[in-house]
Amino acid sequence: MANPMQQFEVKTIGPKIEIGNLDISFTNSSLFMVITVSLISIFFVITTQKKSLVPSRLQLLSEMAYQFVAKMISETAGSKARPFFPFILTLFLFVLFCNMIGMIPYSFTVTSHIIVTFALAAFIFVGVTIIGFIKHGFGYLKLFIPSGVPVVLLPIIVVIEVISYLSRPISLSVRLFANMMAGHTMLKVFGGFVISLGLVGGWLPLGFSVALTGLEILVAFLQAYVFAILTCIYLNDALNLHH
Amino acid sequence: MDPEEIKNRIKKVKSELETQEMNDKTVSPLGVAMKMGTEFVAAVFVASFIGFYIDKWLETTPIFIIIFFIIGSVAGIFNVVRSSKMINKD
Repeated sequence: MANPMQQFEVKTIGPKIEIGNLDISFTNSSLFMVITVSLISIFFVITTQKKSLVPSRLQLLSEMAYQFVAKMISETAGSKARPFFPFILTLFLFVLFCNMIGMIPYSFTVTSHIIVTFALAAFIFVGVTIIGFIKHGFGYLKLFIPSGVPVVLLPIIVVIEVISYLSRPISLSVRLFANMMAGHTMLKVFGGFVISLGLVGGWLPLGFSVALTGLEILVAFLQAYVFAILTCIYLNDALNLHH
Repeated sequence: MDPEEIKNRIKKVKSELETQEMNDKTVSPLGVAMKMGTEFVAAVFVASFIGFYIDKWLETTPIFIIIFFIIGSVAGIFNVVRSSKMINKD
């Protein structure tokens, strides 16, 4: 029987390329990232081909994507975060398309690897910290000092606040990775049960697989949404310093 | 539609955009639940990691890892309390 973890295996496609000790060969993971990016580009090119004041159905799709993200940003981070709209939209669509492409049988889920999600989260973390320091200078460090704390408790509170700040990229990346990996493993396990129980007992796990597929599509969307909204919340902390 | 009305509409949308405040109501409950779990674990993990390396550096195993594990748990609870406060704010 197929190993449920086999679907996460990264295989190189084509020749092995190495620079120094770095292996930068083209893998199936990179292939699916390329597919994701080109699908998003094609989506926007097609849907915005005929621009009209009264949108056609296709144009409405891209307008919905735009409005969804625009609303999310203005609600969580306010009007100051509007210059970061392209970044959040790209991030949201990339994660969403990666998750959704992963739901197609025989495809590869890019976001089920912690290194991919951690790279995204670390980039956001470093970026938000830099933005905070640019906007507020060293005043950004006030983020670690909540108001109304007695001076005696300050050393402990500051350490706690710093740790909770440092834990952001970990929680952001682990959440996405764990959800995707757990969901896909579970689907595969139930799929395996269908085969091993055969015609007699295979119907129950088959039903479960169908239900789980629906749930997984919900999770795929939800995790992309959570990833984007948390980025907005962190951005809000950096832009509108209030504690 | 006369231009005056369009102008008014634009003004209305603009003022709406500017006055929009923080609002977390739209986050779904399932997302919130997942968020809290990972937030708690991540803080403990990061703190223990820091403690482990301070211990390695000062050769004081296991004093700092214990201290930082406790601090990490506190930070994790802080995180969870903070996100639940955010939900209750509205």
